Amino acid sequence: MIPQIILNGIISGSVYALIAIGFACIYRTVKFFHFAHGVVYAAGAYLAYFFFRILKIGSLFSLFLAIIIAGILGVCINRLVYLPLRRHKTSNLVFLLASFGVFIFIQNLLQLIFGAQILTPKTDPVKEGHHFLGAVITDTQILIIISSLILFLLIWLLVQKTKLGKAIRAVSDDRIGARVSGINSEKIITAVFAIGSALAGAAGILISLETSIEPTMGFSAVLKGIIACIIGGIGSIPGALLGGLFLGLAENLGIWQIQAGWKDAIAFGILILFLLFRPSGIMNVKPEKEKV
Amino acid sequence: MEYLIHILIIAGIYSILSLSLNIIVGYTGLAALGHIAFAAVGAYASSLLALNLGVSPWIGLLIGAVLAAILGAIVSYPSLRLKGDYLAIATFGLGVIIYSVAKNWVSLTRGPMGLPGIPSFSLFGLEFNNVYIYLVLVLIFVGITYFTIRNITRSPFGRILTGIREDEIATEAMGKNIIKHKLIVFVVGAFFAGIAGSLYAHYITFIDPSNFTAMESITVLLMVIFGGMASLPGSVVGAMVLVIFPELLRFVGLPSSVAAPLRQMIYGLLLVVLMILRPQGLIGKYKFK
Repeated sequence: MIPQIILNGIISGSVYALIAIGFACIYRTVKFFHFAHGVVYAAGAYLAYFFFRILKIGSLFSLFLAIIIAGILGVCINRLVYLPLRRHKTSNLVFLLASFGVFIFIQNLLQLIFGAQILTPKTDPVKEGHHFLGAVITDTQILIIISSLILFLLIWLLVQKTKLGKAIRAVSDDRIGARVSGINSEKIITAVFAIGSALAGAAGILISLETSIEPTMGFSAVLKGIIACIIGGIGSIPGALLGGLFLGLAENLGIWQIQAGWKDAIAFGILILFLLFRPSGIMNVKPEKEKV
Repeated sequence: MEYLIHILIIAGIYSILSLSLNIIVGYTGLAALGHIAFAAVGAYASSLLALNLGVSPWIGLLIGAVLAAILGAIVSYPSLRLKGDYLAIATFGLGVIIYSVAKNWVSLTRGPMGLPGIPSFSLFGLEFNNVYIYLVLVLIFVGITYFTIRNITRSPFGRILTGIREDEIATEAMGKNIIKHKLIVFVVGAFFAGIAGSLYAHYITFIDPSNFTAMESITVLLMVIFGGMASLPGSVVGAMVLVIFPELLRFVGLPSSVAAPLRQMIYGLLLVVLMILRPQGLIGKYKFK
């Protein structure tokens, strides 16, 4: 029983981590909660469904297309909503509320197009999983864990080792300073939205291979992403990975003791404890001075 | 005609919610996004008391409001430590937690099946099952909420709230007790939200967790912002417009599978546009800093 619970925790944790990594990339650069990240995730899942099941494009190519369009969607949100807000120099809270607006808008757009019902994108029959250390794991679940780890490594290398990563870090630390050094901060922010949203799209696609999809799926996903990000240490990319895994494990251990419906409540309970007693998170990142 | 009165009743109940959220968000500047949780507590408390123990809805309304106020007092604790968007996320989480409790504590709340057959208010043997009488009742409560909050915010106490909003440290340095003031603001806001929840439950006579989703708090906040931050007439206008306007979609003849998401899309778009063009709302005096 216990190995299975831990495994389930790692599986759901890697999806949370993937959402949280994208969220963390965006947060560390723009310093506000991009709540609409969740709806990009849902859009990724629906796009994959649309290309794969309705247009019947080959599976790998549909996934690729869905990830690209999710990235473009993120860039569009940034351009149409956040850029005007940045020009007004408003507070983080205004950004958050606008982001809620975007979330509500796109979620209901998905519902309008695809209907409110639950859809199942995967077609192949359910195969029996592999037995592994007293737990059962399916091929899709292995794929989820491995792609999360690979994407994490790619993003981490991108941010730490490449020139673009250096520019991202510079804009994150000091936007005006970066601009003085000749970095076009808007260009960097666009790139960050593209990368982060592509990750959210990828997470949505991975989850659609595993379970069914519905328009409201982005809500709990982005909450988990934000929670993972905060408990890992806000804005830290390794923190987002650890936070996601921690949250996945904690939730699955929690629902082992009580019913599955309490998952969200457990997640928020953990968040509120962290916010009150260790706002710097697992990776001990000091949050913005004036906020906590 | 009855339908029109029904819409006005719902708008009145939302007005109580938006007025009571405005004292927290608009006057004191605390970004609380879990307001619907207090309404849920009020609604469930008074319904359960009436259904299981046969308590009169009037007493249930009071007990529900007091329980909501106690929850408000608990929520004021994080607001002492967290600010801005962190407080917003934490209080939003409260909405999710209360929704989870309503949905999963099946032995008490019957979970997703909801509570049917909640009795209506009655006075001297007269049942309030007529929409016209109920509208009068709701309007009386809107009036009570309006004047209570107006008097609070115009009093010296209210000036301290504005002080907390504008500069918390300076207000504290003047010897004002920030903890006490934030506590009272949340208690008052939650108390009236509890009343609104209870009025809703005894009017519709059926509640289930889907009435109190966390996103509903965003709708109430949208009403406050639309009408105007720190403006009480604004809150009433915001609630009226945002309840009545989407009803027009029904008259255009759209099926509900289209009208429901379309209504939400309008809300979402409105929130974005307001944030970009006028974050203080139509007649508001304050915007989030």
